[in-house]
Amino acid sequence: MLQIKNLEAGYGKVQVLHGISMEVPKGKVVTLIGSNGAGKTTTMRAISGMIKPTAGEISLSGKRIDGMESFTIAKLGLAHSPEGRRVFATMSVTDNLILGAFPRLTGSRPKGDVAGDLDKALELFPRLKERRTQLAGTLSGGEQQMLAMARAVMLNPEVVLLDEPSMGLAPILVEEVFRIIEDLKSRGVTMLLVEQFAAAALKVADYGYVLENGRISVHGPAAQLRDDPAVKAAYLGGGH
Amino acid sequence: MKRKSLVAGVIGIAILAAAPLYTHNPYYIHMIGTIMIYAILLFGLDIVVGYTGQVSLGHAGLFGVGSYTAGVLFLKLGAPLWLIIPASIGVTAGFGALLALPALRVTGPYLAMVTLAFGTIIQILINEMDFLTEGPLGLKIPKPSIAGVQLDENSFYWMVLALMVISLVVVDRILKSQLGRAFEALRGSPVASDCMGVSVYRYKVYAFVISAGFAGLAGCLYSYSEQYISPNTYNFELTVLFLLAVIMGGRKSRIGSLLGAAIIVILPKLLDDLELFRMVASTLAVLMAVGGAIAVSRKMTTVRAMALPVVGTIALAGFSFWLQSITDWRLSIFGLMILFVVYYLQDGIVGFVRGLLVRKGSGGGRAIVLASGAHKDAITQAASTHTGEDLLVAKGVLMQFGGLKAINQVDISVKRGTIHGLIGPNGSGKSTMMNVLTGIYVPTAGAIEFAGRSVVGRTSSDIALSGIARTFQNVQLFGEMTALQNVQVGLHHTFHSNIVDIALHSPRHTREEAASVERGLGLIDFVGLADLANEEARNLPYGKQRLLEIARALALDPQLLLLDEPAAGLTAPDIKELITIIRKIRDHGITVILIEHHMDVVMGVCDRLSVLDFGQKIAEGKPADVRADEKVIEAYLGGTAA
Amino acid sequence: MEILLQLVYSGIALGMIYAVIAFGYQLTFQTSDTLNFGQGDALMLGAMVGLTLVNMGLNFWLMLPIVIAFGLVQGAVVERIGVAPAIKIKSEFGWIMSTIALGIIFKNVAENIWGRDDLKFPSPLPESPLKFLGANVLPMEILVVIGAVLMMLAVEFFNRKTIYGKAVVATFNDRDAAKLMGINTGLVITFSYALSSATAAFAGALIAPLTLTGATMGAVLGLKAFAVAIIGGLTSGMGIIVGGIILGVAETTTGFYLSTGYKDVPGLVLLLLVLAFKPSGLFGKTAIKKV
Repeated sequence: MLQIKNLEAGYGKVQVLHGISMEVPKGKVVTLIGSNGAGKTTTMRAISGMIKPTAGEISLSGKRIDGMESFTIAKLGLAHSPEGRRVFATMSVTDNLILGAFPRLTGSRPKGDVAGDLDKALELFPRLKERRTQLAGTLSGGEQQMLAMARAVMLNPEVVLLDEPSMGLAPILVEEVFRIIEDLKSRGVTMLLVEQFAAAALKVADYGYVLENGRISVHGPAAQLRDDPAVKAAYLGGGH
Repeated sequence: MKRKSLVAGVIGIAILAAAPLYTHNPYYIHMIGTIMIYAILLFGLDIVVGYTGQVSLGHAGLFGVGSYTAGVLFLKLGAPLWLIIPASIGVTAGFGALLALPALRVTGPYLAMVTLAFGTIIQILINEMDFLTEGPLGLKIPKPSIAGVQLDENSFYWMVLALMVISLVVVDRILKSQLGRAFEALRGSPVASDCMGVSVYRYKVYAFVISAGFAGLAGCLYSYSEQYISPNTYNFELTVLFLLAVIMGGRKSRIGSLLGAAIIVILPKLLDDLELFRMVASTLAVLMAVGGAIAVSRKMTTVRAMALPVVGTIALAGFSFWLQSITDWRLSIFGLMILFVVYYLQDGIVGFVRGLLVRKGSGGGRAIVLASGAHKDAITQAASTHTGEDLLVAKGVLMQFGGLKAINQVDISVKRGTIHGLIGPNGSGKSTMMNVLTGIYVPTAGAIEFAGRSVVGRTSSDIALSGIARTFQNVQLFGEMTALQNVQVGLHHTFHSNIVDIALHSPRHTREEAASVERGLGLIDFVGLADLANEEARNLPYGKQRLLEIARALALDPQLLLLDEPAAGLTAPDIKELITIIRKIRDHGITVILIEHHMDVVMGVCDRLSVLDFGQKIAEGKPADVRADEKVIEAYLGGTAA
Repeated sequence: MEILLQLVYSGIALGMIYAVIAFGYQLTFQTSDTLNFGQGDALMLGAMVGLTLVNMGLNFWLMLPIVIAFGLVQGAVVERIGVAPAIKIKSEFGWIMSTIALGIIFKNVAENIWGRDDLKFPSPLPESPLKFLGANVLPMEILVVIGAVLMMLAVEFFNRKTIYGKAVVATFNDRDAAKLMGINTGLVITFSYALSSATAAFAGALIAPLTLTGATMGAVLGLKAFAVAIIGGLTSGMGIIVGGIILGVAETTTGFYLSTGYKDVPGLVLLLLVLAFKPSGLFGKTAIKKV
């Protein structure tokens, strides 16, 4: 579904990613974990077109998407719930969700039943249903995170990128967020999950990659990685 | 290089001085005189536009203030020349200060609008206050007299020449001194300026005042030169013309200002003569087409990029043949020239020529040979008598943004002479803490004491000057200045010489400047960048830029150094070097607070660690203890979540 | 007292025009962090084009939509030539200077086509004043207020009810996130400039019968409208209407009680004061610095 080969990317003079390769098969949840500064968010941004890769290939359903503008990539079916959520603060919850379906409403993607999908999204996120006319900027952090995820799903995407959904959230909200990810998984949504919190991510994912200083240091089935001491080392500098 | 330009300068002045002897037509003498008068104003305008990087649409107004001060003083008081010149400079400088007030807190388009409003108000006032200025009727003022003898066209010309040369030298000296560096710092990074002790507010005012002073001098001379002034001269078009001159001639360049002045004086005359214009436009179109073809064939640019200017100049030439008179289209020509310069000639003609020459000649910076051991004294030994006492004490700090508590009741105390680490997951409040400590944010509540004095509510530049220096997570160097100049900005606090010292190159100033170069080089050597001292900061590799920031911060002679993720983006060997440097800094008695994610740096170098999570301190102590702390592991790995 | 009330009515009409232009500044600033220094000239062109059409015999009311269409094109041209390239090279100086340059060019072209003198614009409504609350008000002034309000409401409707309008608001809010939704933000910016000039052109055609119409009418107008935009805070819609009315009334009263030469001064001084003391405007919110 989503294939990344030897991706290199960075910001201006700083090269952050030094050639990483990953694969997100259809219907699976893959997680990318690593400490801060390792390059996780950079990877997401390179995939969704927010930054242009300097080398390497990214393919969505066999089609090359590296170098494209993010609005073109979105139209091809890649939804990105970005780091920091970035909901449209002066618009209502409903409007935010409708905008998630923008390519469907403007002819770039098969329309399907937008109104029906909107209802389904609100059912999946009862907290959002209660606040559907409220301005997104007045929602709490946890609610905004749910809105960002629901908005991404409104695209009817091939793949969803979830960038640090737990960031800045209190532990109890983190639990709720991961419950929702589990639910999406059970509905067959293909996801690439980037997380600071390795334990929670590895519990919900099928497969995991560990990013250290811009390179994949370890990867394997999530269950295996959970007990791998290398994972702990990547975060707390264990062996140095 | 310096000697060459000095010789060229003297020759240039000699040619200008000889002009009246060469041509007996007062028309040309007057024209060259006007060019020189405009050049004086442009020297000053360049300070605001070229150095502090702001657009000023009010300089025609300041020019008008200078002109009218001269005119009114003469008309109402019959004042003599030696009174009028300083008065014009002084009054206009005062207006410059007045202009700086609303401009203090704004930048970019807002500042441009402020200057435009200001210039418009001045024009209206000159027009309406006819009891003072004779309003739309205008003022007549004869050539000045010196010692009872009225100056004729030629002697007035020589006086203007003399004043222009003096202005050029003074401006040049100012811009090469610590003042010039301060002005450039404002453009490079206002936040970094403040944190290096160069108060953005204060230096903005200086820039406007000095710039206005020159505009006043130019205005005064203009009155004498024209012998008749009226309000509608000092309008929007003139101010735009001044801007065009500065950017077309070339920013940050005295020659650029002279060239620009020549262009805007000669151009309208050129445009009055249609035949001449047709010739020039056709030649330009041919040159552009040929030049474009060569550039494309040499792969220096693409057909697409050249299409617009080539088509544009051909269209212009064609248009000129269709017209009966070009005078009415003057402003459109100026508008097109501005567009051209903004997109294709960003460094002006001078910059363009320099670019061509540099490619042929030597590379950017010359390496500087340092006397060995020079750096040993570069870092002032911070007072080491009280090692172990509390240097920084923060109690109950609360930083709230709307509903979000970025820092929630945090207590931290840092002992003098230690390296104290501040770690925690993303969004835990570390950088916010650093911004609070350096006055970028004012804490919602809580007390912060540094060396016994409260930090809360003080400006960033005040805090910097009292001993707290910092580096930034996103590098905030002054890009267009060299590495050495960046560090010299940090050394700004060592300068006590004022503008008079600078203008006259007094011994005090020369001494201070030399000392700053020596110390600056020493600091650069300390971080290992000695051979890059003359390289522009923006051209340095990323790792070196981060080290340069440290050198610049050390120039403040701080007692406390805050490092914000210094290892971010560095390669392994660079990180090793960084650790050595941090240790050396501590050995000089300077206390360090370090925010970092690279655990090997943190564990290897810190004496003590504080861990933040969700804006609260969850652990503190020796690195080994903290690393094993359950709460810390959970915060980073999210152990029991989900 | 009657005179004062009359001045207030004229001031309100004038203020609404400022508000409409200020609205245009808000539009482009919110989507792209840039604004058009030649906004006043867009208004002037609207008035001049309108005048030509009316003089050719076209009905005033039919002329309005044509002027709006003209404004749309003019705004798009300004954006493509002057702003988009500057945004690409991330040069603030670039778009400031190029929108100034384009403004100058438009003004010069107008001077050459229509001459430098002020022209009379025939009023579509009767010129005899009506009595409202004891003072005179011109029917045209009422039309101006209604027209301005209607236009701003129309844009609001577009923003709230249509998917394209929502896309524009999303771009205001967060450009990067909007792109992730599949929104071509470059086109949104071009559109916001087009709309901004269209509203200014429309305002120009409306106010032309009330004041002298000429190539120079745009100059100070753009500056004063900027003052209104600032007073209102570049993010508040209500604020600019209030700001506009304050400025309009201040201007008509100064013009009458002091002298017409000074009538532009209160607006300009107000601009300086607001930027000196509360740069985010009376209604706006201060931004938080991020380092």
